Amino acid sequence: MGELAALELDRRVLAELPDWSDIIGHFKAAGRPSVVDVLRAADRTGRPAVQPRCGVADHAAMLHLLGELEQADPAILSVTIDSHTRLKQFDTAHRLLTTRPADLNGYPLVAHGWARGRELVSSVSAPLEVRHGSPDARQLFAITAASGITSFEGGGIGYNLPYSKNVPIRDSLRAWQAVDRVCGELAAEGVVIDRELFGTLTAVLMPPSISIAITLLEAIAAAREGVRCVSLAYPQGGEVHQDVAALRSIRPLARRYLGDGVEVFPVLHEFMGAFPRTTGFANSLILLGGLVARLGEAAKVINKTNHEAYGLPDAPANGLGIRTTAVGASDLFDFVTLDEDRVAEEAHWIQREVGELVEPVLAAADLAGGIAAAFADGSLDIPFSASAHARSAVVPRRDRAGAIRYGGHDGLPFSASTRRRNAELLGDQPGRPLIDLVSEDIFYFIGKESATSAGRAR
Amino acid sequence: MGDRTVNRLVILGVAASDAHVVANQLIAMHLRHHGFHVVNLGACTPLAEFADAWAAHPDAVAVIIGSLNGHARQDLDGLAELRAAGRIGCPVVVGGNLSVGSTKDPQLRQRILDLGVDHVLDDVTELVPLLDTLGAHIVEVRGG
Repeated sequence: MGELAALELDRRVLAELPDWSDIIGHFKAAGRPSVVDVLRAADRTGRPAVQPRCGVADHAAMLHLLGELEQADPAILSVTIDSHTRLKQFDTAHRLLTTRPADLNGYPLVAHGWARGRELVSSVSAPLEVRHGSPDARQLFAITAASGITSFEGGGIGYNLPYSKNVPIRDSLRAWQAVDRVCGELAAEGVVIDRELFGTLTAVLMPPSISIAITLLEAIAAAREGVRCVSLAYPQGGEVHQDVAALRSIRPLARRYLGDGVEVFPVLHEFMGAFPRTTGFANSLILLGGLVARLGEAAKVINKTNHEAYGLPDAPANGLGIRTTAVGASDLFDFVTLDEDRVAEEAHWIQREVGELVEPVLAAADLAGGIAAAFADGSLDIPFSASAHARSAVVPRRDRAGAIRYGGHDGLPFSASTRRRNAELLGDQPGRPLIDLVSEDIFYFIGKESATSAGRAR
Repeated sequence: MGDRTVNRLVILGVAASDAHVVANQLIAMHLRHHGFHVVNLGACTPLAEFADAWAAHPDAVAVIIGSLNGHARQDLDGLAELRAAGRIGCPVVVGGNLSVGSTKDPQLRQRILDLGVDHVLDDVTELVPLLDTLGAHIVEVRGG
């Protein structure tokens, strides 16, 4: 078990896991494409792979859900994990699974165990990813690997600050370092685990350069532990040129800061903020997400559903979200072209801002220490943090075109020209309370929905 | 580093059972924009943590508690005892969506006040003008 040693699992947990050679053997004997195979194929065709989020507590219900969603032909399927398991409350998850499974908001993989995980994998032809939100996912990762699941989302920043109030960043980085080390061990055996990094963060008005800077730092930390495949996920902000420029900036930034030893896939998360309520507007935004993913040359897009404004989607709504996203990414919209000069200018500035954010951190002797220190002094920051370990002094605002800019950036180490450009793009602000202006920016698509006849007729 | 700015300090947080982060951060943003130094305790903050924050910042202009999930009365239960024990010595302001359901109980405001709250606000735009009337304590806060 030396190869799982980095996870520092309890002896009783280890005793229930298959041994390392069985884990490797099971991956190799799968005889089915892994997530990285699907991402490579999507890259070759220029059509992003579509993936839904999905997870219900009961095992039979989860098998049924995966089967239903597979009919919509997603390229990858998800196992979304419940909140108790995310927070290592495995006993609570286990108890609720047997008493009130409807109270769990996802699939408690640790409670079910790796044998059932393997059943999930073999029940569908699309490969699976585990999606969650754990600041410390070591035990969950052990079960994921033993299940033969080939993609695992999360990182020490992105799965801490939006999800936990008081977990020190050093602690979450250390836990994820252990996960990445085991991914490195697996890669050395020829088993490539895709590690998706959650640049969506708090999902509210996230400036592109903050999203990419943070996933880039997590990717560098992962690569140092031997990870060979990373997906850098970026949240759709809503302004198409900015979104396309951000997605297209991921590979050049990765080449600059990560080198050539790691495969990098840009991923789009369809709009994660306040979602339109009417079916027509919601479906259109989902279609736009597919188009933006394709124009941005993303390898993958995570779809939304027209139930988003109301809660977790049922299978038919999720299936429609998958299909609608796939249509948006299809050749039906190949006639759509963008003002490439405008995209290139956006990309130039996004890459410059990312450089200004990450380079001071990379200058630190110890990367994890440098990241924690930067959040402590505010030179790294995210808006709307749930965690006390980020200052959230950043004030994101939309410009007239809807692109997300820095209206305030106390502490971020931006150059004078970056500050000047953001200020110029935002222009003179209307003389209304800041809280109203930022709220309008948050509810951007709901405002647009209200302005359409579809929204008015509701 | 080490330069000093004069600022008014407020303690902000969301009630214990309430996870509404975005509204909380918007109010923090709003207060900073108006020149306040905000000690933001964030979502799901038990009353004892507000008291601990007041002990650390006894010159605070106010403790501001947001409650958006309709459980203000339950979450504020125990505030009167904390105040009687002298553990929150500045005015306590509560605002948000204070009860479950769209029909509001006309007695609710008084019930909240009876729990040991000094000011109940219906709208965030009332907050800064109220704090201005409470702003006698000017404190020095280390900047940087």
